[in-house]
Amino acid sequence: MISCTEFIPSYSLLFTWLEEKVDYDEVVRYWEYISGSGLKKLEAAIKEKGLFGCWEYWKHTLNEEAADFVREMHLNEDGTGYMISHMRYCPSMGRLLEFDHFAPYHAYCEHCNVLYPPLLEKYGIREGPRKLNAQRATCASSRRMDEPPAPEIAAAGWQAALKELENAEAEGITAWID
Amino acid sequence: MLHLRMDRRASDNVYLHKDFHNALNLAIQYLSDNFGEEGVKDYLRFFARNYYSILKADLMQRGLIALEEHYRKIYDLEGGDVTIERTEDPDELTITVRVCPAVEHIRKLGTPLAPNYEWTTSVVHETICEDTPWRAEFSNWDPQTGASIQRFVRKEAKK
Repeated sequence: MISCTEFIPSYSLLFTWLEEKVDYDEVVRYWEYISGSGLKKLEAAIKEKGLFGCWEYWKHTLNEEAADFVREMHLNEDGTGYMISHMRYCPSMGRLLEFDHFAPYHAYCEHCNVLYPPLLEKYGIREGPRKLNAQRATCASSRRMDEPPAPEIAAAGWQAALKELENAEAEGITAWID
Repeated sequence: MLHLRMDRRASDNVYLHKDFHNALNLAIQYLSDNFGEEGVKDYLRFFARNYYSILKADLMQRGLIALEEHYRKIYDLEGGDVTIERTEDPDELTITVRVCPAVEHIRKLGTPLAPNYEWTTSVVHETICEDTPWRAEFSNWDPQTGASIQRFVRKEAKK
């Protein structure tokens, strides 16, 4: 079994393999395939809770991936708002940089640009410009939702956010409302 | 407006994101659809030759204990229902998987298992054993549970 802890090298080497066998466009086609079929959990979260679904999705994945990060969520009751992410040390790129027996795929970090924006935009979430330093495994980005989602989605997101506010201290999350 | 701020260090969590099993499953599906069976095998060999080159060097230096330690560490972390056995023969290692944690997780997500998913084990093992005194055997595969018997034994001496 290839452990899930070994997935990132397998991912990076798949990009390398695809480019060697075909070309860079084939790597992009693969990322588009993942964007379309591999992000069902994220899509379900957004469909249910809008922007707050994104917070819940990345809270779960980034903690499981033992990322070194700061993430902020600023949410209005109508579902609009924005998120800010500062990845101090990306658990994927960082891991790849630590290996010295094979080279990380030269455009590894590009996969995030292809995977997420199309799905987010489908639900009215706009990705801001990304500041990236691949050699240091750091990046910073923001996501905004300027138009309110359907009222039931906004309500579900707001209720879940209020619950997060209640449990924030226990989870080591700083939270306030104004 | 409601504000949330989460600040985490890598050391705050254990690195274990099981959804990556499904990501690998999707990769195998993509390769199968677009490059056929030979493409799947070729990629897995490419991955194993690159990523497991250090494990292979350790295997050459210390024998099957290298693979035993590698898999004990992985299954201790991932769980599943697995027995790793050594006999008195130092050139024999058997991994009996009754429930594979990867297949268990993929099934839990409701994603179909990619065709030839088991090659992520069998082809990888065969590749690790290339040009070594050992060979890998793989049998009793059950795609529902991921059950299998994986053996590493010494290659027969050439006549």
